[in-house]
Amino acid sequence: MKFFVQGIGAVSPLGPNGQETWTAICRGQQAPRKLFANSLAGRSYFSCPVPAKFVADAARQPRLRRSGTISLLGAAAGFDAFADAGLKPDTGVTGRIAVVFAICSGGINYTRRFYHEIVTGGANSASPLLFPETVYNAAASHLAALLGVNQQSYTLAGDSSVGLGAIHFAIQLLAMHPELERCLVVGTEEADWLLGDAFACWRMATTRDQFEVYGRPAGTIFGEGAAAILIGRSGQIALQESSAGIPFGSFRQCERAARAAFGRPDPSSLPDFIVSSANGTFADEVERKVFSDAYQSVPVYAPKPAVGEALGAGGLLQIALAGFALRHQELPGTVAPGPNLPSINRLTRSCAASTALVTCVGFSHQVNALKLCIL
Amino acid sequence: MCIMQESLRSKRVLVTGLGVVSPLGPDAESNRRSLVEGKECVTPVDRFDVSKTRCKTAGQIPDDWLRTAFPPGRASQRLHRGARMAALALREACASASAPSPEVMVVGTTCGGMSYGEIYYRGLLASKSRRGFARLVGNYTPQKPIQDALEANHLRIPTQIISNACSSGSNAIGHGFELVRHGLHECVVCGGYEPLSELVFVGFDSLQAATAEKIRPFDKNRSGLVLGEGAAFLILESENNAANRGVAALAEMVGYGVSTDTYHLTQPHPSGIGPRLAMERALESARLEFGAVDYVNAHGTATIFNDATEGAAISALCDAVPVSSTKSMMGHALGAAGAIEGVFCVLALREQFLPPNLNFTESDPSWRFRVIGNRSRPARLRHVLSNSIGFGGTNATLILKQV
Repeated sequence: MKFFVQGIGAVSPLGPNGQETWTAICRGQQAPRKLFANSLAGRSYFSCPVPAKFVADAARQPRLRRSGTISLLGAAAGFDAFADAGLKPDTGVTGRIAVVFAICSGGINYTRRFYHEIVTGGANSASPLLFPETVYNAAASHLAALLGVNQQSYTLAGDSSVGLGAIHFAIQLLAMHPELERCLVVGTEEADWLLGDAFACWRMATTRDQFEVYGRPAGTIFGEGAAAILIGRSGQIALQESSAGIPFGSFRQCERAARAAFGRPDPSSLPDFIVSSANGTFADEVERKVFSDAYQSVPVYAPKPAVGEALGAGGLLQIALAGFALRHQELPGTVAPGPNLPSINRLTRSCAASTALVTCVGFSHQVNALKLCIL
Repeated sequence: MCIMQESLRSKRVLVTGLGVVSPLGPDAESNRRSLVEGKECVTPVDRFDVSKTRCKTAGQIPDDWLRTAFPPGRASQRLHRGARMAALALREACASASAPSPEVMVVGTTCGGMSYGEIYYRGLLASKSRRGFARLVGNYTPQKPIQDALEANHLRIPTQIISNACSSGSNAIGHGFELVRHGLHECVVCGGYEPLSELVFVGFDSLQAATAEKIRPFDKNRSGLVLGEGAAFLILESENNAANRGVAALAEMVGYGVSTDTYHLTQPHPSGIGPRLAMERALESARLEFGAVDYVNAHGTATIFNDATEGAAISALCDAVPVSSTKSMMGHALGAAGAIEGVFCVLALREQFLPPNLNFTESDPSWRFRVIGNRSRPARLRHVLSNSIGFGGTNATLILKQV
């Protein structure tokens, strides 16, 4: 049983859709940084936000007029994936589709605002308009309703590896339900200073406006955006291997989990390139060790210095970029590469590639990998 | 990594273990007793300030019950109470299944360690210092309590965490069921956990979905829900796997159905089409007619809209099936509710009784089913059906069978 990428969608700080994001990335562009000030503690963090005009179409949908950013981004990416597949999302198509969302922080803007109201004004001042949007599956619910999906709709929660786990979940659904023709997998994330503040507690967020990967881990910059992969039963890019993830309980266990998740292929089955999750944190060193041992000659592209660490959306954006790279036979150059990984791809170049490995070291929970192959 | 290359075959799926911690009791036996006795376990909220909310009660788990979840020590003191609930329920499930070797865990929750996020935010307001915050951040995420629970039970397996609002627990069990049924895994642990959190409590209060009165599911004069908390897990394994391990089945899981109601973020479609579709799909999956169902453990939150919708859906499918909502005894445990109620269904099948629907006085005349009323009673049960309905229009139905 084989499953394929039929459509790739994205909205990122670099573009309102997948194709424009890909083009900007290949040009070596870096998303503009915006300073998010934490008025409560006086600390500030840079972030890579998505310009509001990029989700203007989604924001015009009556269903989304009060929804959080995360839902707008998810909807925009989902519709983009349909467009990329050349499909009109009418009931003839969406009646046999499942939706799987990957969520990490959820609707953090509304959650913070809602809780702020409770703490500062008392429980009786809490807005009933905010609360529903704080629920993890709000974004999935909105997109399912816009598409008219009445089949399976699942929201998976997890760390930054959740996107790859969501692909595996979607593959499971398609394998178990022959009546489903496709599954739309969407990862979405919105920026908020609270994220930077929380991750700074673990020294995983930098206060600078740049971070390098595979160098000294000084922390990441959070991004926002969404990516969507429409999976079907036919197509050009096959999802070759997926897993629910390999768990780790501590940083020390993380490397062992990564070795198990990424595998140790023999030279004849090495991928042509890797799209990695390096983000300026401990994850870089974990990946570096495994790549240096098992994938020494394979070029590595790390997109996060360009677009920021978009957690729930990050893994799916990596898959989207791997898909574009296979489709266009072009490997982007990594913005801000550090000195520790010789195989990092520094400049965009054409490449004759048929297989790609997408790797993801989650920040607290699981490590995962996914192999793609163009036919 | 898993490669799916072969077509999948259907296998019998057995429930070989269960564990539950709920306001009704710290283990399955105490929960069974409370169900039979019709014990009401909704109490005044003492975990946070409720002076400004309409609703002031919830089904709560005493901290005393959770003390043995982890070995004593500084490290365990830092863990979230959600981890303690999950660890206890998981321990009981594994023990009752005679030390199974699950390959994957599927868990439902809606807020995970949310209360640590609340403490974090209060801390930010109170002080610029971040002292102690790393612990809160580290234990806040929905996956961390599950990692802790697995570690406490010496399991290191992949987890899939489903957050489909109030149907999360049923979705987790249903997905676990399908993984075993279709041969993708031989043994799966699945369920849900949900600790009470202030944000969610106030959220339901702000929506005026929570009641200041008693929770009265399916009563004509119902006025809203009260929240609950808890954790529950089932061990599901293929018939062959269970036979090879020499472990007896507690029940068989035979059906799972889901639907998405595309109507409104917080309100179900009044026609009941969402839960009706989920039930129809579960019946189809179980290859059963509704007439074969002997008991419905309803979602039954006691809100005006939920019970009207679910009542319409059940009425459309049957004439006189006995229905109860066990939320009347312990409140609504959100992401854990479907898992806890799944365990209650296994207990009802094992002990052949109908759990009660407390605080019930008068039924809505438009419904055709029989609300069980305030006392449990013995009954011949072969198949039971459990519904879950969540925010965002997620509907899930499980069907279990006596063995």
